[in-house]
Amino acid sequence: MPVARPLTLKQRHGQFLGSIAVAFAVVLLWQIVSGLLFVVPAPARTVAVLASNLTDPDYLVDARETALAVATAFVIGTLLGGLVGLVLGLVKPVRLATEPLIVALNGVPKIVLYPILLPIFQLGGSKIVMGVLFCLFPVLINVAAGVRHIPDVYWKLARSVQASWLQTLVHIILPAIRRPLLTGLRLAVSLAVVGVVLSEFFATRYGLGRVVLQTYGHGDYPEMVATILLLIVVSFTISMLLWRWEKKVQ
Amino acid sequence: MSEINLENVEVAFDTPAGTVVAVSGVTQRVPAQGFVSLVGPSGCGKSTLLSVIAGLTKATGGQVQVGGKVVNGPDRGIGVVFQEDSTLPWRTVLDNVRFALQVAGVDKEGQLERARWAIELVGLKGFADAYPSMLSGGMRQRVALARTLALEPGVVLMDEPFAALDQQTRIFLGAEVRSIWQRSAQTVLFVTHDISEAILLSEQVWVMSYRPGQIIDVIDVDLPAERDPSIVSSHAFNELHNRIWTSLQEESMRGFRQQEGAA
Amino acid sequence: MRTAAMAHQSKEPVTVPETTPTGTAAAAPAMSPRRRRRLGDATFSGIATTILVALLAVLCEIGPRAGWWGEEVLPSTSSIVASAADLLGQPQFWGDAARTSLEIGLSIVFGSVLGLLLGLVFWKLPTVGRIFEPYLVSFYAVPMVLFYPLAIVVVGINASSVVILATIMATIPVALNTTVGLNGIRPVYLKLARSLQCSPRQLLTSIALPAAAPFIVAGLRLGVVYALIGSIAMEFVTAQAGLGYRIRYLYEIFDNQTMFAYIFVVLVVSMILTALLVAVEKLLVKGRTQ
Repeated sequence: MPVARPLTLKQRHGQFLGSIAVAFAVVLLWQIVSGLLFVVPAPARTVAVLASNLTDPDYLVDARETALAVATAFVIGTLLGGLVGLVLGLVKPVRLATEPLIVALNGVPKIVLYPILLPIFQLGGSKIVMGVLFCLFPVLINVAAGVRHIPDVYWKLARSVQASWLQTLVHIILPAIRRPLLTGLRLAVSLAVVGVVLSEFFATRYGLGRVVLQTYGHGDYPEMVATILLLIVVSFTISMLLWRWEKKVQ
Repeated sequence: MSEINLENVEVAFDTPAGTVVAVSGVTQRVPAQGFVSLVGPSGCGKSTLLSVIAGLTKATGGQVQVGGKVVNGPDRGIGVVFQEDSTLPWRTVLDNVRFALQVAGVDKEGQLERARWAIELVGLKGFADAYPSMLSGGMRQRVALARTLALEPGVVLMDEPFAALDQQTRIFLGAEVRSIWQRSAQTVLFVTHDISEAILLSEQVWVMSYRPGQIIDVIDVDLPAERDPSIVSSHAFNELHNRIWTSLQEESMRGFRQQEGAA
Repeated sequence: MRTAAMAHQSKEPVTVPETTPTGTAAAAPAMSPRRRRRLGDATFSGIATTILVALLAVLCEIGPRAGWWGEEVLPSTSSIVASAADLLGQPQFWGDAARTSLEIGLSIVFGSVLGLLLGLVFWKLPTVGRIFEPYLVSFYAVPMVLFYPLAIVVVGINASSVVILATIMATIPVALNTTVGLNGIRPVYLKLARSLQCSPRQLLTSIALPAAAPFIVAGLRLGVVYALIGSIAMEFVTAQAGLGYRIRYLYEIFDNQTMFAYIFVVLVVSMILTALLVAVEKLLVKGRTQ
């Protein structure tokens, strides 16, 4: 059995320092590139622009709009994905009947459906629906796979203590699938961001995606890079935190 | 003629909890064409000693000679059968057995011929094209054995090869290993924690102590060459069993107490 | 597509390690546990899928005709299929398809090679692997799309900016899966290789790669899917040609009929591609589980 040997404190220290060094190297590279290409703003300048943006009420309207859309999409997407995944994991005929379609749909560039969503859900709703479409699948697939791989003995245990449905869900199913569920949630966060922002790239009234595209159009690259940086850093941080949590859960 | 000579072999590991001496001052000899079993409580370092003879683990002291040559690393003249299932699931039985010959650079015709011979030797004729996943655990260990024997090594080292199998399969496979050995000119060192298995199979039994692993008893097995399983009810067998059991019991208890204390 | 998760669940010792060192960002191999009525299940799946697709087609045919929704929201199935068939005779469509295929093809090739190499490096040098792991896991493929506006500023609006980012998207799952697969090799195989005195090359080609193959193949499948999704999404944002670009363009000039045909073709082709990849993957790892 491949047993991961626990790292010594020194190794973990080295690893942390190594990761920091990589981040530092990236910033350094960025600095060098910004010196060579005038279209790329220097790191310090970008951070300064970002800081001033975050005190600009107009920018905050856009940021709030995007954040709200992402949060809504994430909540709806994970609830829906979790529910469907649960059904697929528990009911074999349903899983067999829908699995090929779900697998195939997951491989589809969902963004091309945006023009179809627009007339139905309007500008405000479409990007949320797109976010839901993006983040639905990892949760759904991971929950379904997780439920399917719960060892038989757990089900026997639940029956032997005559657990109710809710008790089985809370005390058996959720703890048993916590790792795949967390993985699904982690992927869902960044996918919700991508779904919403891509939609905003296409058409929207407010939102950071619109800011990026507009500043691109105006050739205001420091603004553009600052907004991209904000989006990346936020989704990176959430993703990283969820990943660390996931690693802690055994 | 491959005899195994151990001279004052010592193996120590550095662990976060300090240095652990797994094997200490082992000076023993397995005669050419001999069959020796090494028994001891779990965690006593018998697998480590075997690994040193195979050239997979470096001794921190002393010397191992096989067939008069000092062991400095793995050698195709020394065959190893591992405790874990080591069959490669992506290869058929034939290709698993051939693997050792391929690596050794045997030409294709020779590979096929010797692989077929080894497969027949371990009683897997008719399964050459099967994948390991279609076979039982016992049959997979036969594949691993065939792969080792295909190279016709002078020395065969077996590291609890039947530990994961059920009792009946173990007895049956053990008898076959002994019968293959009797027909060959190989020297065998067999690690096990099963006293009966050790007596049934071998000509001599070494008893190893709990850490630091030392050979605390060497018992010659004076039983007839042909041993059917009914021999376990004989007086001679029971005497041997009792003697080994007595020296082992104390060591097992000591090991148990130390492990409990550490936990 | 199984995005993740199963890896640490299965106790199958041969192919699926119990824990995935990258925190299960890796895809589990598409292997089903041994089932007795396997063929029966597959047939059932096939029939049910056909029925579902047929039902959907019928629903979309009746919908606009019965006035449940307007033609401009979603035209009837028959008219979409008809205009999609029309598309196949148009050189512009083939030009777009060629551009997109080129982008996807290049990204897959570069991504696979790069991912495999990175996976090997992370396996051979575990410290390097652990240092880069958090970044790979957090940039798991899709968020790379957000860099697209920056890429077009630096590289220009052309195929190379799409290929660069899509390559990275394809690289990440391949690298992560290769690392997980190689780290999950059962230690006894490595012991065996040592005792038989395998050369480094024999170790790689006869032990390491085949042992990790289920994970590597799953990673390659994900790499292909991400290259496809990424390329089309980036074209959709802005480009000069390509299927994604054309859909956006047709939307902006209000040519709904052709736009729906393009969307239909993209959906169908990518669904078939995904299904094919899963089938190929199952075939490749077949001997091991049966």
